[in-house]
Order: sequence, then C-alpha cells, then structure tokens
Amino acid sequence: MSYFLQLVVSGIVVGSIYALSALGFVLIYKSSRVLNIAHGQLIATGAFITYALAVWAGIPIALAFFLSLIITFFIAMSVERVFLRRLIGEPIISVIMVTIGLMSILDGLIYLTPFGTLNFSFPEFLPTTPIRLGGVSISWTQLVGVIITTILIGGFSWFFRKSTLGISMRAVSDDQLASMSIGISIPRVFGLAWAAAGFSAAAAGTIIGNITGLNFETLQAFGITVFPVVILGGLDSIIGAVVAGIIMGLIQQFAAGYLDGHWGLHGTASLLPYIILLVILLFKPHGLFGIHEIERV
Amino acid sequence: MAVNRWLATGNYFTTYKEEQRIFQTNLDRTVFIAFLMVVFTWPLYFEVSSKYMLVVDNILIAIIAVIGLNLLTGFAGLISIGHAAFVGVGAYTLASFSRVLGDSHVLITHAWPLMLLISGGIGAVVGAFVGLPALRLKHLYLAIATLSFQMIFLWIINFSTFFNQGQTIFIGRAYWLTGQVARDDHYLFWYYVMLVIVVMCGFGVRNLIRTRYGRCLVAVRDNDRAADAMGMHPGLTKVYAFALAGFFAGVAGALHAYLFRGVGFESFTLGHSITYLAMAIVGGLGTLVGSFFGPTAIYMLDLKVENVAEYAGTIFSETMNLATGLRPLTFGLVIVLFLMFEPRGIANWWRISRSYFKLWPFRF
Repeated sequence: MSYFLQLVVSGIVVGSIYALSALGFVLIYKSSRVLNIAHGQLIATGAFITYALAVWAGIPIALAFFLSLIITFFIAMSVERVFLRRLIGEPIISVIMVTIGLMSILDGLIYLTPFGTLNFSFPEFLPTTPIRLGGVSISWTQLVGVIITTILIGGFSWFFRKSTLGISMRAVSDDQLASMSIGISIPRVFGLAWAAAGFSAAAAGTIIGNITGLNFETLQAFGITVFPVVILGGLDSIIGAVVAGIIMGLIQQFAAGYLDGHWGLHGTASLLPYIILLVILLFKPHGLFGIHEIERV
Repeated sequence: MAVNRWLATGNYFTTYKEEQRIFQTNLDRTVFIAFLMVVFTWPLYFEVSSKYMLVVDNILIAIIAVIGLNLLTGFAGLISIGHAAFVGVGAYTLASFSRVLGDSHVLITHAWPLMLLISGGIGAVVGAFVGLPALRLKHLYLAIATLSFQMIFLWIINFSTFFNQGQTIFIGRAYWLTGQVARDDHYLFWYYVMLVIVVMCGFGVRNLIRTRYGRCLVAVRDNDRAADAMGMHPGLTKVYAFALAGFFAGVAGALHAYLFRGVGFESFTLGHSITYLAMAIVGGLGTLVGSFFGPTAIYMLDLKVENVAEYAGTIFSETMNLATGLRPLTFGLVIVLFLMFEPRGIANWWRISRSYFKLWPFRF
C-alpha cells in the first residue's frame, strides 16, 4: 500500500511539472493557434538563466528565480515579435516549421554555452532530509516545486478570469475578428501569450532543474512529452493542461512502478503517453476539456 | 514526338495533352538528357574521395525519402513529423531479414533489388497503417499523431532484443554481376544504384502527378470537402498518400542500410524527421524539383558548416564545442529565413530563372 501511495505522490510531483510545462504550451496555442515545438528549449533556457544568475552571478536563488522568470518573459516576447509576427495568416505548416526552426536555433545557441554538453546541479538551499509521512516520502525540492507550481497555476487562472488583459486574451482566442473590432490589439495579445508562456516555461525549467539536475537533453525532452499532456487535456484548455498533466504523471509512475520488469517490458513510462495520445486522437481528438472544433473529413 | 514549337515562346498550349507533357519543348528534353549524362559519367572523370562520395550518396538517399515526404506534405498537404521513422521501417525490414537469415544470406547480398522492393512494400503497409488517423484528423492533430508514431517506433527499436536494442545490426556486402562489390567501389556502386532509383522515382512521381490520382491528391489538399463533392474519396486518398510516402521512405531506408552496411536507431530519430521536413520546405513544397534541391542544399550547407566549425575550432578554445552548436544554429536559421522570405523554396528560384532564360531578351 505504501508503495502505491509513494507512486501516487511522485506521480503528482511529476504531473504538476507536466502541468506547468503544458500551461505555457496551451497559452500559446489558445491565443494564436501556434503549435510551439520549441517549448522544451524555452524551458531549458529558463532553467539555465536561473542557474547562471544564482551560481555564476551569485544572486540569492529566490531573486535569481524571479529575475529568470522576467528575462525569459522578454525572450519569449521578442521571439514572437521577430519570428512569429510575420507569419500570422500563413499556412499551418509554415507556422509549425518556424517553431521547429526556432527549436534548432535555440538548440544551437545553447550548445554554444557550457550548458549544452555539461551537467550542472543547483546548490542545495533546502533541507536534504526527505519528509516522511506514514511510509511515503517526499523531498523538500519536490514539495517546494509542487507548491510553486500550484501558486503559478492559481495565479494564471486568476489572471485569465479577472484581469482585463487576461479577459482580452480569452476574447482573442474566442473570436479574433470580434475582439479586433472592440479594440483589442491582436499582435499585442499574441506577444503577451508568448511572454506568459516563457514565464511559465522558466518556472517549470527551474523546478525540473532543481529536482533532476540541469541536463539539456532532459530539459528539452519536456517539450515533446508535453504533447500527450496537452492532447489529453485538450489543446486550448488551461484546466485541461493541469488535470491531464497530473493524470499523465500518475500514469507514468504507475507504468514505471508496476509494468516495468514484468513480461519483458522496459521503459514503458516513456511509451505509454504516446499510445494514450494516439488513442485520444482517434476517439476524442479534442481531449478532455478542449473545444469541439475538429473538422471531420 | 512532335512538340508544339510555339511553346518555346511562352504559354501556348492548344490541347490538354500538351500541357501534361513531361518535357514541353525539345530543348527541355535535350538539356535533361545532357544533365543525366553528366550525372552518370562524372565519377569516371574525377577522382572523388570516399568522404565526398558518401555525402553524394547521402544526398541521393535523402532525395528519395524527400520525394515521398513531398508527395505527402507538399501535394497532399498532410504534415508528417515522423518521416525518419518510415525510413527506419525500411531499414529495419532489411535488418530483420539480417537477424533471421544471417547478415550475408544470399537474399540480402545477391537479391538486393528484391530486398529494396520488399522494404518499400513494408514501408508502404506501415505508412498506410500510420495514415489511418488521417481519416479523422487534420493539420495539427495529424502532425502530432505522426510525431507519436516516431516516438513509438524509436521505443520499439530501443527496447526489443530482436532489433538488438538499437545497436548496429550488420548487413552483408552486396554482389553485382562481377562478384562481390569491392571495398573501394562500395560508395560508387551504390551511387549508381541510387541514381537509377532516383531517376525512376522522379519519373514515377512526375507521371503520378498527371494521373487521376495525382490530381486527386492536390484537390484534397486544396479543399477536401469540394473534392468529396466531386466524387473523390478524401480519406482513401490520404491513406494512399501515406502508403506512397512510406514506400519511398522504405526504399530510402533499405538503401541507407546497404550503404552503411548496418542499421542503428540513431539515424531515424526525431531530429532526422525534422531534417527531412526542412529539406522539403527549403526545396519547395509541392514541387518535384524541390525534392532534389532541398536535400542537396541542406547537405551542402552541412558540409560548409563543418568546414567552418573545423576552422573556427582552431581559433577558439575547445570548450566552446562550436561544431555541435553551429549545425543546429545554421540549420534553424535557414529554415526560418526560407519560411519568412521564400516560402516557396528553391524551386521558386528555379522557376524564375527558367522563365528568364526562356523569355530572354524580353522581361515577360
């Protein structure tokens, strides 16, 4: 039983990270219908900036985290301005390919820094002894990660529900023409969506980096793992991203805990999300919470 | 074959049949034949180091794969982010023969044309199967479905003992009429084989586009509902397109396996899928010539970048790992710049320069 609970706890930890990574992805898709394949690179960038500020520049880690969020916010915003702004209204393959090109460019830039090939880990700033609760243990980094994730997701949902800017972003995702006619600047909203995505990506990156260590391959892999999550939750639903993130985390942990090593199976945790993705695409393409807008042939 | 000689002066078709011709003027055909002769004979006149011959071979393999991808993405409008997995299916078909029969079985070494066809066939079957979601999904969702096929394919390769868990599976040396292909002639031999296949593929696709089915593909891309109303079957057309792409990719994969005399998972990753897509876009989506320009341009760029990185490595310190950084950087820049400034790809430059020479001395 405690094994099961342990899996549930670690599933929720992994899942909340997925939720935070998927959040940024969904933000971009929701407002501008762009499939951002470079999201993993944004996550990695955020994590590396935090590390560089905290360790190389010697800034206290909390402040470094905050600064990294701001910097990535502006990086993502300028990415939208430079690369995506020109392609508004272009065919879908161009937009996908531009984010792929972006991924390649960011890859190249990161490989030019020491982060590309070497491994780093954040200095310990939390107690290293894990918390034990009735046979279930959770480390401080994981706990803090989950707490920050919850705060950020809460903040984002407040932002979209209450603030004028958030409401205007929702309006754009609902109907671009109508929102243009009531005076919402669409390019600005797109830029803001990317910026918010960069913000959440930096947070996700730093949290992942704290838990698993800073390795470029691991961090950027989150950009691909995020696909099953967002498809399960529905590409344009923030709630969906959160719920699906946690479901996916649990599924992965259970797969790793119960399936691996039996019946000659290995590494099912990395396979199962994609099988779920295919099944969801075949039977319920809009996901759990997405808007039903799939056009059937 | 009488050719309407007014065509040399511009667009002067008098029958539909004339418009559908592969070579519209005699000059076109002459130039093409001359080009083929150059391509077939240049290795006889120049001594090429095997490093560069390998690059040429790689380009030809990529051309075959990209022809398939261009049919799928350019003509049928179905985005596939899993084309390297299709190529992998071809290569691993050969690899499974090698695992079952031994790497130098007669079938593999002597009957390689048959093996190429079988690999293509298996690729087509897998392609059609992967294309089944296309019956229900469009655009983005389809792209994500092919992406997940890519990930599942890699998982199967990496975790099954039959496929040696992604480690290299050896393929024996091929035989030709004169006996086993010698070590020194290996790249040259496959160059000629691939050249013949590329020419066949090129003519095949050129002919396919002017058949009923080829027009179906384009019609479904442009508007599948209208195509449906005109009596075509959009779903089936899409699945066929996937099967065709799978066939070309399968042949390319088998050639890849023969050329490198082994199959390993590292040639069929997501990065390669993206590279194929980039080649198709840089070359020009929805054009046949684009499938030839794209791979050539990307490989040439790669070579140049490698040289630059080598040179820069002597100036800067070694910790910069320039080579690993510069390649994705330039690759990404090329994709992005092409998409922003020349979305129709190199094929458009080709079209412009052709019409310039055709109409010279007039501007239009």
